[in-house]
Amino acid sequence: MASQQPPRRLRSLPLALAVVALGGVLASCSTNRGDQQLRLGAGVALTGNGGLLGQDARTGLDLARQQFAGKQPGLELQLEDTGSDEAGATVAFRRLINAKPVAIVGPSFSQQGFAVMPMADRAGIPVIGVSTTAEGIPQIGRFVARVASPVTVIAPRSLAKAVQLNPGIRRVAVFFAQDDVFCTSESQIFQKAIRAKGLELVAVQRTSVSDTDFQIPITNVLRSRPQLVVISALVSDGGNLVRQLRELGYTGPIVAGNGLNTPNIYPVCQRHCDGLMITQAYNPSLDNPSNRSLLAAFRKGRPADAVPPQVTAQAFTAYQVVHEALASLKASLPQGTSLTSLPLGELRQRLLKTLLAGTYQTPLGELRFSPEGEVLQREFSVARVSMNPDGRSGRFVLLP
Amino acid sequence: MQDLLQLLLNGLSTGAVYALFALGYTLVFSVLGVINFAHGAVFTLGAYFTYFLIGGAAGANGLLAGLQLPFALPFWLALPLAGLGAAAVALLIERTAFAPLRQRSADPLLALITSLGAGVVLVNLIQLLVGAESYAIPTGALAGLPAAVRIGGAQVRSVQLLLLLVAAVLLTLLTLWIDGTRSGKGLRAVSEDPTTARLLGIPSDRMIQIAFGLSGFLAGIAGGLVGLSVSIAGPYFGIGYGLKGLGVLVLGGLGSVPGAVLGGLIIGLAEACVPADLSGYRDVVAYGFLFVVLLVRPQGLLGRVLPSKV
Repeated sequence: MASQQPPRRLRSLPLALAVVALGGVLASCSTNRGDQQLRLGAGVALTGNGGLLGQDARTGLDLARQQFAGKQPGLELQLEDTGSDEAGATVAFRRLINAKPVAIVGPSFSQQGFAVMPMADRAGIPVIGVSTTAEGIPQIGRFVARVASPVTVIAPRSLAKAVQLNPGIRRVAVFFAQDDVFCTSESQIFQKAIRAKGLELVAVQRTSVSDTDFQIPITNVLRSRPQLVVISALVSDGGNLVRQLRELGYTGPIVAGNGLNTPNIYPVCQRHCDGLMITQAYNPSLDNPSNRSLLAAFRKGRPADAVPPQVTAQAFTAYQVVHEALASLKASLPQGTSLTSLPLGELRQRLLKTLLAGTYQTPLGELRFSPEGEVLQREFSVARVSMNPDGRSGRFVLLP
Repeated sequence: MQDLLQLLLNGLSTGAVYALFALGYTLVFSVLGVINFAHGAVFTLGAYFTYFLIGGAAGANGLLAGLQLPFALPFWLALPLAGLGAAAVALLIERTAFAPLRQRSADPLLALITSLGAGVVLVNLIQLLVGAESYAIPTGALAGLPAAVRIGGAQVRSVQLLLLLVAAVLLTLLTLWIDGTRSGKGLRAVSEDPTTARLLGIPSDRMIQIAFGLSGFLAGIAGGLVGLSVSIAGPYFGIGYGLKGLGVLVLGGLGSVPGAVLGGLIIGLAEACVPADLSGYRDVVAYGFLFVVLLVRPQGLLGRVLPSKV
């Protein structure tokens, strides 16, 4: 039977549909929305191995957006997923830069920060790191700042607390994810602090953020009979490391770095998370209006005692800092002059200057910035993870 | 002696996971001559299926936030069911990403791309539905078993031993099925020469589907066990195993079932031999070893040199 050709009209239908679909895709890709509202770009890791951290940040940004909605100046938040690697961050930041934002918040990881913050800096856009704590971030460029305190400030505190609580400790083992610049940087600080305290560094094990099975490095370390284990890793690898350390019989204290500083570790290390000590840049019990409003907003639809992860508080803070700096800049303009009437380049320059000069009452406490863009935070604490009997939920208990 | 035993246990327990993973690759490769790049996503799905079947709830970041099945199965029952679920997905992948190309006699290499696409879609679908957060099969799922056992002074986690045991059992069953049953022999015939097999009345398409189903089942079981061993570290956690599985597949010999197991155990042992202060370079050692073996024996350890066809 001879096959019948469809009518010419129908044959061209798929082509027409493809053209329409392509047009639709291109239209949806367009970033120029033609309005006069100021745009705040945000690039965080919503997918990939580090997606957990970015999801915490997105929560903070969403809460801040709701909090400041209706307050002048109006800010439109444009959120882009950076993925968890440098390539994804580069694509996301290119899109954000093309969207002509007044400032950009992000990215999630220092490793990404070193790749994309120079892009924003070259474009003259203030970029505020949320959870980028590695050394050297503010030094990337004039337009780079961060609300995350540097690892040099954070890391030694939990170590000091562990030694204070366990004065007999002499032998310390260190694990760190060597393929992540933050973990490497943090571990160097930890190792320096360990030596400075006169402790013996009995083992240093390099791992990878993509590792899940730690049987080999753990059995290597346990042979050196450590009395304290210090871990610099991210949520998934670090959580698994903690769990497997306990399962293989290590019972001593564990100090973890900032990469594990989130309740997202609970499902990974479960009941074995109990006792983990981590320095906190965010104290949920801080009593100031900003933190109260963050807590109230976060607890909507969640248990009454739910506590935002540190990154959520930091992302909220980044949004707040930009908003307050813009409000302050607006107040300094002559009567009747709007922020949007300033040329964008000038607006960004003046925003940066105002932002770095301000003092902010945030969920992280009082914040200021050095002229270089480094955050100057005063309040820190060390928390110990306390898991509930179900082994699936827990909380960060601040140590006195 | 104790150190040597520890090294052996470390290598074997790590290698068992790789072997289990590579078995699935091998089955599909043996009948189609191409690598199914969606295998890692099926492995990941197996882990998620297991988690939900034992009563786990979806986290807060996906479309299915808070969803929980109205029942909770014991782990030993959830695992094979998850394997069956993964097998069903693997069959779906065969129907959508492989069969249409085969029917049009497209270059088999194109199936690499369609399978890669299917894998990416699946992984992103998982993220859309249940978010990027980690999920953990409760550590008490293996009720009655201690967290770790000591063998001759060396220590190994019980779940790792279970993985080793399951890999050994599945390999034995697979070998018995391939060598001792009609359908197994049919699979071998198709892997030798699909055209001749078809002329001899062996339904090639059905054999290919059986290979995909089995491959998916193995991936699902491996995913569930690895999920129990190390938690489900988000939708992407199968990718690392997928890459290592590829290495194992090539080392053992493309399409060779015993080769997949041998390759897995050798890579595991090679990683275990890496000194403590170089532990972050385990992959370099594993792949370096693979590189050297392939220079000497390009067909892999147990692979065959195929005659070139004119």
